[in-house]
This record gives sequence, C-alpha cells and structure tokens, in this order.
Amino acid sequence: MSRRTSGSSAEPALRGGAAPAAALDFRTATATVDFDSRAALAGVDFHCGPGERVALVGPSGAGKTTLLRLLNGAQRPSAGVVTADGLDLARLTPAGLRALRSRIGFVHQDLALVPNLRVAQNVISGALGRLSTWGTLRALLHPRRDDLERAAALLERVGIGEKLFQRTDTLSGGQRQRVAIARALFQEPGALLCDEPVSSVDPARARDTVELLNALAVERGLTLVVSLHDVALAQSCFPRLVGLRRGQVVFDKPAAAVASAELESLYRLERAEMTDDAS
Amino acid sequence: MRAEGVPLPRAGAARTPFTRRRLIVAAVVLAAALAAWALDASLVGLVPQAGGLELVRDFFARALRPAWSYEGEAPAGAAPLWVAALVAARRTLVFAVAGMSLALVFGAVLGFLGSRAWWEHEPAGGESRLARFLRRSVAPAVWSATRVVIVGMRSVHELLWAVLFLAAFGLNNVAAVVALSIPYGGTLAKVFSEMIDEAPRDAAQALRAAGARDLQVFAVGLVPRALPDMCAYAFYRFECAVRSSAILGFFGFPTLGYSISQAFENLHYGEVWTYLYALCALVIGIELWSGALRRRFVA
Amino acid sequence: MNASLARLHRERPRSRLVRLSLALLAALVVWAWCSGEFDFRPLGDPARREHLAQFVTVEVVPYPLRGAEFSWPALGAWAGALWREHGAEALVATLSIAVLAISLAGLGALLLAPFAARTLATVHPFEQACLAQQGHAGRRRAWQALNALVRAGLIFLRAIPEYVWAFLLLAMLGPSAWPAVLALAIHNAGILGKLGAETIENLERKPLAALTGLGARRAQLWFAAVLPLSLSRFLLYFFYRFETCVREATVLGMLGVVSLGYWIQDARAKLFYDEMLFFVTLGAAIVLLGDLVSTVARALLRRA
Repeated sequence: MSRRTSGSSAEPALRGGAAPAAALDFRTATATVDFDSRAALAGVDFHCGPGERVALVGPSGAGKTTLLRLLNGAQRPSAGVVTADGLDLARLTPAGLRALRSRIGFVHQDLALVPNLRVAQNVISGALGRLSTWGTLRALLHPRRDDLERAAALLERVGIGEKLFQRTDTLSGGQRQRVAIARALFQEPGALLCDEPVSSVDPARARDTVELLNALAVERGLTLVVSLHDVALAQSCFPRLVGLRRGQVVFDKPAAAVASAELESLYRLERAEMTDDAS
Repeated sequence: MRAEGVPLPRAGAARTPFTRRRLIVAAVVLAAALAAWALDASLVGLVPQAGGLELVRDFFARALRPAWSYEGEAPAGAAPLWVAALVAARRTLVFAVAGMSLALVFGAVLGFLGSRAWWEHEPAGGESRLARFLRRSVAPAVWSATRVVIVGMRSVHELLWAVLFLAAFGLNNVAAVVALSIPYGGTLAKVFSEMIDEAPRDAAQALRAAGARDLQVFAVGLVPRALPDMCAYAFYRFECAVRSSAILGFFGFPTLGYSISQAFENLHYGEVWTYLYALCALVIGIELWSGALRRRFVA
Repeated sequence: MNASLARLHRERPRSRLVRLSLALLAALVVWAWCSGEFDFRPLGDPARREHLAQFVTVEVVPYPLRGAEFSWPALGAWAGALWREHGAEALVATLSIAVLAISLAGLGALLLAPFAARTLATVHPFEQACLAQQGHAGRRRAWQALNALVRAGLIFLRAIPEYVWAFLLLAMLGPSAWPAVLALAIHNAGILGKLGAETIENLERKPLAALTGLGARRAQLWFAAVLPLSLSRFLLYFFYRFETCVREATVLGMLGVVSLGYWIQDARAKLFYDEMLFFVTLGAAIVLLGDLVSTVARALLRRA
C-alpha cells in the first residue's frame, strides 16, 4: 500500500530507521460488554481489514464509543474475543498491550490534551509509548530536533503549522482538534480510531475534518474507524457504514447500499425510550 | 410528556443545598455563642486595662511617624536604625527562603508518595503477580504511612517545633529553619497530593491509550495539569513563611520579631512602627509578585 | 523547514516575568543558604551531642518514669493529673478562642468584602467597563477611593502576623482571652475579606448586570443575588481558616493568654520538658480535631 501521495511534503525518517507501521486489522467475535445496569455491547461481530475505512453510526448510547475502546484495549469485553493485528488483546502482557497500543492512534471525543503545554509538547507526547524515562523528560523539557521537525511537518499537514510553539489553550476548538489528530499521527500508527471527532463543530468544519481524516488514512495506508452522529457526512465520505443501536449491529454494508429507511429505523425513538429519557 | 402511572417527585423530598448551608451557618453562630460563654467573654474585657488607654494612644500616635533613628540610648557601635531594620528584614527573608526550600523538598517527595495517582490505576493489560502484590499491598501501605507522616508534620505549629528545638539544640539558626520547614512541608505535601489527585484525568487516559507507562502518564499527563495551581499555592505559602519567620524572632532568633519585641518592651513605639512597616513591605512585595505571576501563569 | 522551525521557535510566546522569577527564586535560595547565617558546626559538637542525648533520653521522659521501669499506670496517672489540672480547661479555652475568633472574622469579612470587590464597589455595580465611565465623576471617584481604602486596610490587617497583633493587644487590654480572640479575628478578617472580594469579583457578570438593569438597588443586589451566589465559596474559605485559627490559638497562649500555649511556655520556663511535650502533643490532637471538623464541613458544602 502506498505511504504517501505525491502532494504531501517529505517527512523526516523515523528515528532509528524503523520501518513504517503496517496497517492493522481488527476483529471482534461475539464481543459483549456489560456495565452495571445495562449491556453496552451485546454479541457484536465486527471485522475491519487493514487499510479499510469504516464509519460507525447510531444514536447516543448505541455502543460506538465502547466498540472503539474495545479495539484499543481500553475496555475489556465481558465475553467474546477482540483481536488486533491477529493478537488476542485479552491475552497480551502489559508490555505487549502497551506496544500494541502505541501502534493505534486514538482521537478522543474531548480531545484530552494538556492545556498548559505547548502544541509541540502535546504532539510529541503521542510517542510516549516508545520512550524511556529519560526520553520522556527530554520530550517534555527539551524535545529533540528531529522530533520537532516531524511534529512541525504533521501540524503543517493538518493545517496549523504555525502554531507549533503556542500554548494549547490559546487555540480554538477546531485547531485543538487538529492537534489531537496530529498527536495520534505522531505515533506513526497502523490504525486511527476517532471517537465523535466532529460532534461539537459546525457543519462546514466537520466536513473538512472528516475529509482530512480520510485523506490521511489513504495517504498513509491506515485503517480508519470513526464514530459519527452525522449520517449524511458518513455516507458521503466513507466507503463502509456500520449501524449500531442499543449495543447491537443493525447493518454493516457499503455506504452506497444503505437505504434511507434503514437509517431512519436506526434513529427512530421508540415510545419506551422516550419515557426513559423524560423521567 | 409523562406516561400515566409515573409519580411526581415528593415536594421537599431532597435536602436542597440552601437548607444545608443555612444549617451550617446556624451551627457556626451557635458554636460562637457557646465559645463566648466558655471563655467568660464579656464585653468588659474589651475595656483597656489601667494605663492601657494611654498605651493605645501613644502607640497609634506614632503610626504615621515611624522612627528613623534610635529612640533613647543607641547600643554602642550600632548601625543606624534604618540599616538595622533592613538587616533584620534581610534575615527574616533568608530564614523564610531557606525554610521554604526545605519545605518544597519535603512537599514534592511526600506529595508524590501521598497521592493516589502513582499506584491506584490498574494497568489495562493485567499485571504480573509480583506487580499486583506490590500495587495492592505494598503501595497502599506506603501511601498510608506517608499520609500519617504528613499529618504528624502538619499538626504541630512551627513555633512549637522551634521551641522544642530550642530546648534540644539551643539557639541555632539551622534548627529554626528546620522547625519552619516541617509544618510547611507537611502542608505543601497535603495540598500537592490533593491537587494531583483532583487534576482532570482526560489527558492521562489519552496518553495511557497511546501506550505510555504509568510513570510517564503521571509526569506528562497529570503533573503539568496541576503545576500552575501548585506553584500558586507554594508562592502563597512563601508569603506565610515570611510572617512565620518574623515571629520566630519573638523567641530569640535574629529576625524582625526580635526587634519588634525589644523595641516594644522598651516603649520605643516609633521603632516598633519602623519594624512593622519593614515587615509589611516584605509581605506586600511578595504578595504583589505572587499576584503578577498568577495572572501570567494561569492563563 | 529548518529555517522556519528556527523562526517559529524564536517567535514563541515566552513570559519574561516567569523566567525572571524562576531565576530570582533560584538565586534567592542559593543566597539564603550561603549567607553565613547558618552554622552547621554546633550540630557536630560533642558537648551539643551529649546535651541532645540527655534531652531525648531523660528530660522528655515523664517525671515519674525517669530511671524507673516503664509502667502504664504511672504514665496514666501523670498524664491524668496534667489533664485534670490544666489540660482539659486549656483545650476548651483554645477551641473556644478559635471558634469565636473565626466567627468574628467571618462577620467582619462579610461587612468589608462588598466594599473591597471592584465589581461591586462602583457607581454602577457589575456594569460593563464602558458604561462605568459615564455618570457623575465625583461619585465615581468617591467609590474608587472607598474601594482602595478598604482594600488597603485589608492588606494591612493581614500583613501583620496574628502574634504581633496579640502582643500589642495584650499590652492594651491586659491578660484575658480577648487579645487572642481579637488578634486572630483581625488577621483573619483581612484574609477572609480579600478572599470574599475575590469571590465576588469572579462571579459571572451578565446575570448580575441584568438585575442592575432591572433597577435593583445595591442592598437588594447584595442580599438577593451576590450573597447567595458567593456564600458557599465563602464558607469553604471560612472553614479552611478555622483550621489555621485552631493552630494559632494554641500558640498564642505562649504570650500569656490562657490557652494550651500558656502551659507549654510555663513548662518550658520551669524546664519541665516532659510536661511541655505532653501539652504539645495535646495541641497536635486539637489541631487534628479542628482539621476533622473543617474537612467534614467542607465536604458537606461541596456536595451541595
């Protein structure tokens, strides 16, 4: 798979000449996640091949975030098996899990950046999984030159190159979103998981961001799994849609094949749900 | 829109925050009344004692006319008063700075050990038996022991430590600085550990999701988050340390308190005001500095 | 790429104040420790060591247990006697001084804070800056002067340590509980007043400006809006200072007021270091009690 299109700027090589990460594939088999009062996911079978781009759609509480967290190893299934790159996540040692997670980039819904650090420090902290203790201190206080160059190139790619040394809390919400994406990409991951990346952004900017995520995934050959509220956006940008509702997969098909009736049934409120919400 | 059969909440079922607040205020007023009764505090006690009124009048008369030179006999070969005041102020600052530097060391070490953040989180991938044992049994013991030590350090006032050390070591300046640093270190440790524990965890979780180890998460995701507040608090304690350092002088140590008590006992009220203003200048200077930093730091 | 990186690095926002402050603080620390005030030699002196050993092994051991077998009953009897004679009464006195002092301080702060808050002590409370420029210049200046005066007063009240206030008041009022109570009250009124003013200034401007726009008078604004909004925070500070008041009340006794500190000083003067240690420990116990009350109260307030 191609790593970059001819248009993107040349990036400095990875430190130590390591080979770029190959794209990851994810698979869950009858994965179930139970929280105290309810089942967040019930018997979900999900497969995403290397380099694929998938959008998860569904109403709130459907289990989109839980599924993403399963793929990342942040959530343990109560039943069923989750594998990434062929490795069973439940059987990994802590060190092994850490190594795997450093190959998966995760963009959180609330961005989860450290507000009083500079943008460069936030971006570079994405690669913590590979650093020693001394390396961590170095990254925080006096980053290495090639790390800075790589971070600068990434920020340039996502459109905020000049903000490299600004304090993160002086950026707007949309710009911080880009920083979070850059941080995930700094890991040189094999997959990018994004949890509601555009839920609090206006429609024009939302489209920009989702198109950017897709472009980045195609350029670098990453597996991309994004959860979205906006179905129209998902349908227009992603080749494959997975609809979730109340912890179960309702449909899983190419975007073009999804009928509007199916989408409607996904989001239709039932009477019981209405009173649930109202009380 | 409510379905039939769903009951309305009972009126007054919940203790509203306002009720609780009023109860607390009422409790405070009651406690104050009890305290006044326990002390036999009548307003008669507010009347100045014999000669007290003159003292008040004489004392406050000099408030706007602090002394520039010694009243009465100047000690042989002594520097001018204002120099002596500056020297005493300098010593006060020196004691405070030395005490705070020690206190910061205590505060950083004990604050780290006394927080839950370094041991409470279970690693996502499970852990080896040894690691689990260390985390479940050894770490909480270390944490509890640290908190006991912190409480012990905090609960004795720095003047009482100073008095204890006076008895044990005699009039030694190092002992005074250590006495100052013990309760201050304890307070710093307690507040630092609380700030670390209460810092928002979102960045820490994100870093953990990217494969970072616990210690890295702590250093990059938690400490920078809490650092501005920690620095602001440490500076505030520095200001308090200057005051405490001055008071040490009442017990014989060479800070402003010594000058104040000596001058007062000799009834040289002008000199007292000079030293008081020197102390004010020190404290207010630090407060201004602290305020400027806080405005800059906490954007 | 390298050139633009270097340019961005040069142009990054830096705070001169923060850098200068860090450098100054580091310099202060070095200067303080090397200033020659601190003589470490006496700590190694053999005569000193002996004195210290004597102190730890003999002087602080309770009198009936010196040179004899340790026995719980003897310790209990000695401690019990001290408690009955002075300890219990001093404990109550210390706590009462703290409670009364902080209550008075709170009252004083509630009265002064409205005048120290810049947003409230103006001609048009909570109005936007541009509006604040209009109106009677004289009244505006009068409010500014009042505000500045109250703020300066609060600064003075809290810059002077409690101990110094107590020292002065003792000379004026004679030996009773009042010098301690008033000293603590005055100092803490300064602190609570400033914290209260800050709380008021940090309130959201818009809802309050809306009330002023409706025609609410200043007193109405205070009782109906500002006070309820800031009371929780104020009470949190109140109980935090209560902790400190208990600590200070213990120590103020050393000046001659009848609190625990008085008996500590008394024992020290008589060179009865064992009794002194007993009362210091008792002091630590009430500080813990004060801490407990404060923590519980603040937890209750926060949950509200």
